[in-house]
Amino acid sequence: MGIEYRSYNLGDEITPLVKTMSQEAINDFEGSAGVKHPTQFTDTEFAQERLGTAGTIASGRMSVTFCLELMRRNFGADSFNRTGMVDLRNLRPVRPGNTITFTGKIIDISREANGNKVTVEINATNDEGNLTGVGKGSVIVPSGFFAPEE
Amino acid sequence: MVAEEGKILLDWDALEIGETFPVYEYMIQQDNIDQFRKGVMDQDASFPTISHKVDVRQYDKRYTDNGSVNARCSFFCYNTPIPGKRLFVTAWIADKYLKRGKNYIVTEAVTTDEDGRLIDRVITHEMKQPGEVGKKWG
Repeated sequence: MGIEYRSYNLGDEITPLVKTMSQEAINDFEGSAGVKHPTQFTDTEFAQERLGTAGTIASGRMSVTFCLELMRRNFGADSFNRTGMVDLRNLRPVRPGNTITFTGKIIDISREANGNKVTVEINATNDEGNLTGVGKGSVIVPSGFFAPEE
Repeated sequence: MVAEEGKILLDWDALEIGETFPVYEYMIQQDNIDQFRKGVMDQDASFPTISHKVDVRQYDKRYTDNGSVNARCSFFCYNTPIPGKRLFVTAWIADKYLKRGKNYIVTEAVTTDEDGRLIDRVITHEMKQPGEVGKKWG
């Protein structure tokens, strides 16, 4: 079976990812680690007392997880789950009910010992058009997945 | 603020970069993965370890403080964890800094499994004045 070559170019925009946050989703994320006590993520009163916010917020790690998905879907689990990374700065709280759009643009492609490192600038934007997070992701795509150079 | 019994009240100035915590051992089961995937709305999500916040778990066991918010987080993928395999986490204080009058602590953790497979690495910048979130964003 022949190899399906991949093509990445500087400035390419990758396919965005859209997520709508809910309290149930936040509870599942926290609960998956066995957390049962109230936290700023799961309990409104706790969040009001600890953060001074009107209600709960989502863990910044949920946004990181969505960025991992963004990268994995665009570059393939075979590469991303072994060589991928995401680095996200959380700028604004993400709250239940928010819809967040994760977008990415290829800003660098460099040769590494084990392939070509593709670096993507990532933005997370809420439904009011405000950035909730900015960062970068990268993945090493084996050179064998690129068409041979002429 | 009074320290919880058995914990050290955080003295940010005294906290030493490089302080390494005892290895944390845990296991992820399929039901943890299923719940994680439901939460992140992704049936192929492969790193449920991220919700376990293992980089700060041992810190939280040793120290008590006013809480924190996640200001920045980096996550590196190496191998997907296998349900039922024991995971071993080594975490340490990687850095600390003061920015715009707020204190930050950077924790870092590396996870391997019982077969020696490198699973992931996570670095988190936690801002230690969580009340600032409400002041700024309400």
